[in-house]
Amino acid sequence: MKADIAVVGSGLAALTAARAIQQAGRTVTLVWPGLSSLYFLYATIDVLGYADAGTRDAIVDPGDGVARLIAAHPDHPYAKAGSASLAQGTALVLAWLAEAGLTWKGSLSHNYLLPTALGTPKPSCLVPSTMVAGDLRHPEPIVLCGFKGYQDFAPELAAANLLRAWPGGGTVRAVRIAAPGFVADRLFTSIDLARAFEEPGFRADVAVQLRPHLRADGARIGLPAVLGLRRTPEVHADLEAALGHPIFEIPTVPPSVLALRLFDRLRKQLQESGVEMIWAAPAHAAQVEGGRCTRIALKAPGREQPVEARAYVLALEDWVDGALRAGVHHLRDPFFNTLIAEHALPIDRTADSMFSPQPVRRLGYRVTQRLQPADASGAPLAENVFVAGGAMAGYDPAGTKSRGGMAIATGYRAAQEACAA
Amino acid sequence: MITEEFPPVSDTVEDAAPVEACTKCTACNTVCPVAQATDIFRGPKALGPEAERFRSPQEPAVTAGLDLCSGCKLCEVTCPSQVTIQGYIRRAQNKGARERGRTLRDWVLGHTRLLGRLGSLTAPLANLGNRTPVFRLLLERVVGIHRNRPLPRYQWQTFERWHRRHPPAAGARRKVAYFYGCWVNYNERRLGEMVVLILERNGIEVVVPKQQCCGIPAVVNANMDLARRYGEQNVRLLTPVAEQMDIVASSTSCGLTLKHDYAHLMDIPGSQTLGSRVYDICEYLWMLHEKGELNLDFETVQMRVLYHAPCHLKSHGMGYPAMRLLRLVPGVTVEEVDEGCCGISGTFGVKVEKYDLSMKIGSRLFAAVKAAGSDAVLADCETCRMQVEHGAGATSTHPVEILARAYGQTETGVRATRTPVR
Repeated sequence: MKADIAVVGSGLAALTAARAIQQAGRTVTLVWPGLSSLYFLYATIDVLGYADAGTRDAIVDPGDGVARLIAAHPDHPYAKAGSASLAQGTALVLAWLAEAGLTWKGSLSHNYLLPTALGTPKPSCLVPSTMVAGDLRHPEPIVLCGFKGYQDFAPELAAANLLRAWPGGGTVRAVRIAAPGFVADRLFTSIDLARAFEEPGFRADVAVQLRPHLRADGARIGLPAVLGLRRTPEVHADLEAALGHPIFEIPTVPPSVLALRLFDRLRKQLQESGVEMIWAAPAHAAQVEGGRCTRIALKAPGREQPVEARAYVLALEDWVDGALRAGVHHLRDPFFNTLIAEHALPIDRTADSMFSPQPVRRLGYRVTQRLQPADASGAPLAENVFVAGGAMAGYDPAGTKSRGGMAIATGYRAAQEACAA
Repeated sequence: MITEEFPPVSDTVEDAAPVEACTKCTACNTVCPVAQATDIFRGPKALGPEAERFRSPQEPAVTAGLDLCSGCKLCEVTCPSQVTIQGYIRRAQNKGARERGRTLRDWVLGHTRLLGRLGSLTAPLANLGNRTPVFRLLLERVVGIHRNRPLPRYQWQTFERWHRRHPPAAGARRKVAYFYGCWVNYNERRLGEMVVLILERNGIEVVVPKQQCCGIPAVVNANMDLARRYGEQNVRLLTPVAEQMDIVASSTSCGLTLKHDYAHLMDIPGSQTLGSRVYDICEYLWMLHEKGELNLDFETVQMRVLYHAPCHLKSHGMGYPAMRLLRLVPGVTVEEVDEGCCGISGTFGVKVEKYDLSMKIGSRLFAAVKAAGSDAVLADCETCRMQVEHGAGATSTHPVEILARAYGQTETGVRATRTPVR
């Protein structure tokens, strides 16, 4: 396989890079090891929620927060990507979402504060429009609604937590209704409910059950994110009209309907616009000659399949999609087999408490100022290879709520570098 | 020291116990075409890695619900951690069938080559029977083949026989072997003729070695023991060929079985040499093109075609080479119908209890094909083509048909011998 530029990964960093490269007029081959968290976990695009993983003060203005972070930590991956990459990458993604028919809201100048499925307020920068009515910066009362037999959202628990954790304070009630057609002993997921919500009859039944729980107090209704897969705007508007109250979605554990909607549309858009996608082939083994990578190998059925490109963007995410390989004492990367980290004991990678910031989260590729993977001395392992997204060292995407913004900023920057290489 | 409890050679947890690589992300369930269409199927996550933890070689196989897995392999395509979900499902299903016995229907459907030979020998009679409502009703009641499923038309003249009379190309610069499979041999000889013609137009002599059914119909019909026997025969027959030349296959699933499943699903020793030399026909032609060796002397073909990517094609890890090739042909407009699985999955949608499910799985694709309108729907897989013709009422053919036309082979037209009965 030959292309101008090969992008490895299937997450937001990879997709952003592929889109940016294509807009620059180059041919892109997108190589997938399998699907990433963008398919089963994503809900919102978080740029910066907390200045570091230890603090609990939510950031109000993520653009400003990133600028401060860059000033304070010139080695942070955000500093290497540059605030211009974040701004331009975000503009590219927002325009792309609109073109793909997805209505998202937000800007770099403010964070929403949205309840999670456990009722904790979480700062998020770019969000689907169906989540916006849950913004906890506003005081209106909230009714949280779950479904009998649906295990991934417990409204009672979320309401109890939210009552405690809502910064401004407010009224929260919990209700549970039946999901019509889902019998008691059937195990069902968000995806099943989302498909059911696309049926007008199902929605009407839900509205009838919900109505008695609503008062004339201007309350908004929080539902788990199950309002349809393909026809969400219609489902959302229809239900709001039937109930006369604002409705917002709350992200759930995998499978995340919000992620699925996002990924499916962006993937289709890329494919329709001519990006070549190679499914189901984990990439590894970069061949470096004279300081340049000449090919990477795909583990295709039967044999290793070479992919040759002028430049490469490695936009894998983390452990799940094979960005790094963990042995008992060593962490290595699959492309250069370079040592990422060495531990006397595997437990040195984790904190004492699962709720503490985890050292393992900060591990990943060392990168140069141009985002090339670097060896221990800081020299690039290959001139024409660039890293983006979760596999970079030196930040904690979960603890700082910055996974999406980092994916966009580094994906965009890596694309620029790859086009120039 | 804790560290000394780990064996010193152990690389990763996943290498030591592959099932532990499953992180329960549920991506497989989300993408599963069967789970999307019915709530009685518990999905690949539960039936594969989760049930695997309860399976022990000494105990009876845990198999409830396994027959609803159509074997499309999209779960494996999707899995971020490369868990061999299909391997767990198929091995358990085979063990269960060995313990409890197989149905006549599944035994018959697993013996594609035998079926093909009988059908071909009695071609006019078999085709007439397959179109006769009374016979189909009987077939449904006695065997369990759904009466509404159009069955493939059998041909009296097999591809093997055609090729024996086909004069070898003069002045070829290299040789390639062709794994034509049961379908081309007994049902769609014309596809094999086109493959031979296209390769000859590129200065390649086509060798047709003796071969057995690839075994995939047996695999998905709970008969991996039979599939392994077939596989071993093919490894014996074709490894000496693979040592000399590349092998191309024009069926997506046969190609995948040879490339991957012999070594990794059926554990056939020594099958790697064969697997490493097998190419999908379009993959092979694209490779020629990247080397600058593809004959680009194409005539204009004024056609608007849709392309449906078969599920098993996605497992090949090669992208969509047919789409890339078709863009080289002047006059052809090609657009992908990206609506997922067609639903037939080989013999799955033929079965009486699964026919309706199979049509429901394909309904999104059928609607998209009908709405788009086209001169033909192209698909690399023979049963996808059957399903698209049946479900969407569209003409469906293999992508190489367009290349054959571009090389000037227009006399037989798109509606050749492939059209199923009814």
